[in-house]
Amino acid sequence: MNDTFRPGTHHPVKHIGRYTLMCALAFLALAPLLWMFLSSLRPTQEMFSYAGSFSWHTIWPETFTLSNYTGLLETGFPRAIGNSLFVAGVTMVIGVLVNAAAAFAFATFQFRFRGPLFLLVLLTAMMPFEAIVLPLYMLVNKLGMIDSYSVLIVPELANGFVILMFRQFFAAIPRELYEAGRIDGASWLRIFFFIALPVSWPVILTGSIMIFITQFEAFFWPLVAAPSAELTVAQVEIAKNISLEGANWGLLFSSMSIVCVIAALPFLVFQRFYIRNVASSGIK
Amino acid sequence: MTDSPVASSTPKSAAKASRKRTMLDPQRPSWATLMMFLLPAISLLIVFRLAPIAISIGGSFTSQSLLGETTFHGLGNYSNLFADEGFWNSVRVTLLFNIIINPLQIFVAFIMALLVFAPGRFLTFFRVSFFLPMTMSTALVAVMWNLLFDPNLGLVNSILAQTPLGRQGFFFDEDQALGAMIWISTWKGAGYYMIFLLAGLFRISEELYEAAHVDGASPWQQLRLITLPQMKRTFLFVFVADTTVNLLFFAPVYIITRGGPNGSTDTLMYRAYESSFTFVDWGRALSLSCILLSLVVIVACAQMLFFKPGEGE
Repeated sequence: MNDTFRPGTHHPVKHIGRYTLMCALAFLALAPLLWMFLSSLRPTQEMFSYAGSFSWHTIWPETFTLSNYTGLLETGFPRAIGNSLFVAGVTMVIGVLVNAAAAFAFATFQFRFRGPLFLLVLLTAMMPFEAIVLPLYMLVNKLGMIDSYSVLIVPELANGFVILMFRQFFAAIPRELYEAGRIDGASWLRIFFFIALPVSWPVILTGSIMIFITQFEAFFWPLVAAPSAELTVAQVEIAKNISLEGANWGLLFSSMSIVCVIAALPFLVFQRFYIRNVASSGIK
Repeated sequence: MTDSPVASSTPKSAAKASRKRTMLDPQRPSWATLMMFLLPAISLLIVFRLAPIAISIGGSFTSQSLLGETTFHGLGNYSNLFADEGFWNSVRVTLLFNIIINPLQIFVAFIMALLVFAPGRFLTFFRVSFFLPMTMSTALVAVMWNLLFDPNLGLVNSILAQTPLGRQGFFFDEDQALGAMIWISTWKGAGYYMIFLLAGLFRISEELYEAAHVDGASPWQQLRLITLPQMKRTFLFVFVADTTVNLLFFAPVYIITRGGPNGSTDTLMYRAYESSFTFVDWGRALSLSCILLSLVVIVACAQMLFFKPGEGE
């Protein structure tokens, strides 16, 4: 069905206009990223000497070097990226299980207070986390959790949006699939782990990426809840370095490039899944 | 691959099936089983999502002394807040920011969606390009654009210096700082909302366009009479999602301007942060949190009103 009447097709002038606009937008989106990557590969002095006037070498390095990357080893960055990966990884694994289990209950079981509890899930799915950062800080402070790995992980485990996404998928699984297991005397836990979860891998994948990225890119919460140097995550570490007097731009560029690649990889690899699942769970 | 026969069953037939199922086999598990599935997520949501809201509301009526004693303060925090010129500046900045950025982001996202929707070549490349800035965290976007907009060493000013415009202050200029914030957030956010709008475009029936074409409708009329009305729900969803995020705009302000220059980027969220961690005035911070929460709730309720129950998931 390529021969459609959607707006903006076929007419040659419109065609050129459309592609020009797309190229311009793609350039605006990609150029800053490209500048960052190229800059991470050049010596810092060179970066500054060409900044005053605009020439080819303002963008393209004269000499390529990996010194900005090797230089990172002597900073707090390796520790910070390790913290980020650890926090995001643990949250992802436990979080997917916790949210999928709750979604399975909502989709499969009849129970009292199902409506109000589901409303709670809906509410938390719609409320941005930033809105409760300050009262949450007071709460975890009272609980004695401040400045620990658990304060970075535990509050982020349950995720209303991920529960909604799983519930929608589980609700579409025909009950006959479970009946066989029930007749064989399998517990609901077995059915969940060996029947429901295996067929749900597209949602597991999307949910995992979503939780991992949310955690990996978190800034506000780690900034206030885990201030000590050993617990600093990559996002906070980089932001901290920029405010230093005479910040080392070379190291900033290389550390940012690494963090960007880690965050972008899951999207690029699973682009089709992610886009479809997120878009449909948002509106369906 | 996700479109298994399982997933493609229509909501209506699924609803019918579930009603039948309830009659034949009410899936009522034992109390213990139910708790095993529900308790972890629900208790975490109650403790780390619901309780903070209660703390925020309760705490906004108290004040803390330097010794950590909490006393009931009534509406004192709010009346202090409302008497504060800086608070009203923050309200102005936050509202101005939202009034501009939400329509702008969604407009750009819609243009992007329309561009990559119609059949053509290299569309995957363009979709991924538009989407890529979204994979960068808000904090890193702020750091990167702060370097790009640097008055002396930034690339943008190196280019502008060659033009009649000359170098600009951007984040250092009182009149430009908020605009620069809007620019960097749009740079990051437009591609994200494009995905939702694109999904909305794909849901519109092909036949509507064919019928319009037979009736001789121009592309502009098709856009106005078919695309836009059909996309109403999608637009509403995107608008609410975008607004709730932008009402709480914080990281770039913290990283780049700290509310300045001269309060021109002092958003409510940044002011709340400052009240708690710089001035250690938690009563004020929590009352600011409450005001932000109610703004978010108002926007979310608007969505509830427009969606029919059960559809808004």
